Amino acid sequence: MKSLTITEIEQFLKSVEPEFDLRVPIRLHDGTRSLGGLNEGPLSLMGGKIPLKPTSVFFPQTERVFTRESDGEIKMEKPGEKPILVVGYTAEDADCLEFIDKFFSENFRDDLYFQKRDGSVIMVVSGKCGPDGGFLKIAGGKCDLELICDGERFIAQAYTEKGRQLEKKMKASKEVGDIDSLKKMSDELPDDDLKTIQKASELILAEKVPDAFWVEIGDRCIACTSCNYACPTCTCFEVYDRVHDGTTVRERMWDSCQLDGFMREASGHNPMGTEDIRTRRRIHHKLAADVTRWGHLTCYLCGRCDDACPTNIGIKSVSRMIVERYSQANEK
Amino acid sequence: MAVETKTEKDKDSASLYRPVFCRIVRISDLTPTEKLFRIEMPEGRDLNQKPGQFVQVSILGLGEAPISVSSSPTRRGYFELGVRNAGALTNALHQLKVGDEVGIRGPFGTFFDVEKFKGKDMLLISGGCGLAPMRSLIQYCEDRRGEFGKTFVIYGAKAPADVLYKDELEIWQGSDIFETHVTVDNIPQGTCYDGHVGLITTLIPPLEIEPEKSIAVVVGPPVMYRFVIMELKKKGIREEQIVVSLERYMKCGVGKCGHCTIEHLYCCLDGPVFWFNEISNLRGAI
Repeated sequence: MKSLTITEIEQFLKSVEPEFDLRVPIRLHDGTRSLGGLNEGPLSLMGGKIPLKPTSVFFPQTERVFTRESDGEIKMEKPGEKPILVVGYTAEDADCLEFIDKFFSENFRDDLYFQKRDGSVIMVVSGKCGPDGGFLKIAGGKCDLELICDGERFIAQAYTEKGRQLEKKMKASKEVGDIDSLKKMSDELPDDDLKTIQKASELILAEKVPDAFWVEIGDRCIACTSCNYACPTCTCFEVYDRVHDGTTVRERMWDSCQLDGFMREASGHNPMGTEDIRTRRRIHHKLAADVTRWGHLTCYLCGRCDDACPTNIGIKSVSRMIVERYSQANEK
Repeated sequence: MAVETKTEKDKDSASLYRPVFCRIVRISDLTPTEKLFRIEMPEGRDLNQKPGQFVQVSILGLGEAPISVSSSPTRRGYFELGVRNAGALTNALHQLKVGDEVGIRGPFGTFFDVEKFKGKDMLLISGGCGLAPMRSLIQYCEDRRGEFGKTFVIYGAKAPADVLYKDELEIWQGSDIFETHVTVDNIPQGTCYDGHVGLITTLIPPLEIEPEKSIAVVVGPPVMYRFVIMELKKKGIREEQIVVSLERYMKCGVGKCGHCTIEHLYCCLDGPVFWFNEISNLRGAI
């Protein structure tokens, strides 16, 4: 297996830049990390997850649906000329992407999403490159290629034909025999958070969480919406028109179920008219409603909502409270 | 991103979110706040809706809104929308004239499953604007007479001025296909009205029905469902014999935007028409 230095990875990325629309982890002027082009900041493979919603590459905060110019003709958006290559997803981000691929393809195929997603290439970064030297879970699949850090270098592991084609183009100064020790470290990562949200899910589904709990959590929500806007599996959007110089542009933009107007109808009827119902919905959606609909949780424990929430009611935090208060073992 | 101009050929099929522009061919006043729009698809095509489905109506510059189709698919060559002037888009719709165009996407959503209703006695119960989607089913029963058993049309409005489809209600009242009962909640002073006064729930107890062979379809404002369904249960109708159509805010109509969820269901995709026993235990459904 090829083992590459960061410089070699950067050289590889430059070599494929003519073929791909690159979205790689970069460090911005303010010290934060984001996905961007190689010319937008220095490559930043170390440090773990990108703070912003990683799936925004394919489901951006705002995107044009169509344009209608004064001649009356509707013009749909055309896919980009080059396929997108994303580097820097974590294993959890790859799980999230797999789910929203399913969500956007089920029943009606969302062409706006798939015109970006089709043909794209996903490279997960994992291993000893987390924040403060922490270990990032190895995906072991669900992406085209994985760059697994051994502390100094990144070992390339391809999982798909697209990944293998790209791996061939990588020029590595070293080869390694296996990554068994790194896989073992990944397998031994604690799964306490997973057990907690699974237990919280069971308790919500079993109606063990009383309404008073959601009132308490809802009271803490300041409706900043940062949880929804950071979550890779939040897919709600609003649609609006803008008119300028005779041209109408229809766009869609992320929306948040934490906002009062999210479900309000023209009649004034609002099925989610209070903070407690909205907060319950945010948690219930990922831990209960989607379990019923899709057969699995749709929180993959990326931790972004917990990082972003100013009042500490992200999904992991709320799940811990639910388990502490309402699981049988802890019931008094 | 570059922009592509679609040809006429692929105009209607290119995108999930692309509206088809359709011409308004007739506008009728139903009440001071409701109008009925008759609309024709391009090239004489049919909408191919089923009773109870809805369309997303676009007015460019203002956006889109979900509106129930209020005509039956048995009436070919056009479809109709009964629209209350309740928001920015519906207000703009009310300003349009015959010959103007609106964007249409759809039809979307589940429908009144008329195949399962065949041979059954039907209680078609609607309140307020609920008569708009219900009318698609009433017209269907009218056009397919003989396919259904005894059919009751039960309608309630707030006041006489709010009664929708007055002319058709009169026809249905005089028809041998339907047993039609209309009520209003109250009569404002100075109003001339000699019909039944009282909540819609007062119309249900006197009905002579055979509960075992009946299907009840209920469409109306959120407050209506619980009380109407309580009365239906008193008549011996079970939850699995009741069909409801629910209203929610829908931006996309295709189960993506997330505004119309009812727990694990999407009202635009899994509804708006539900068998009541499928949603009766879901929080916030009614």
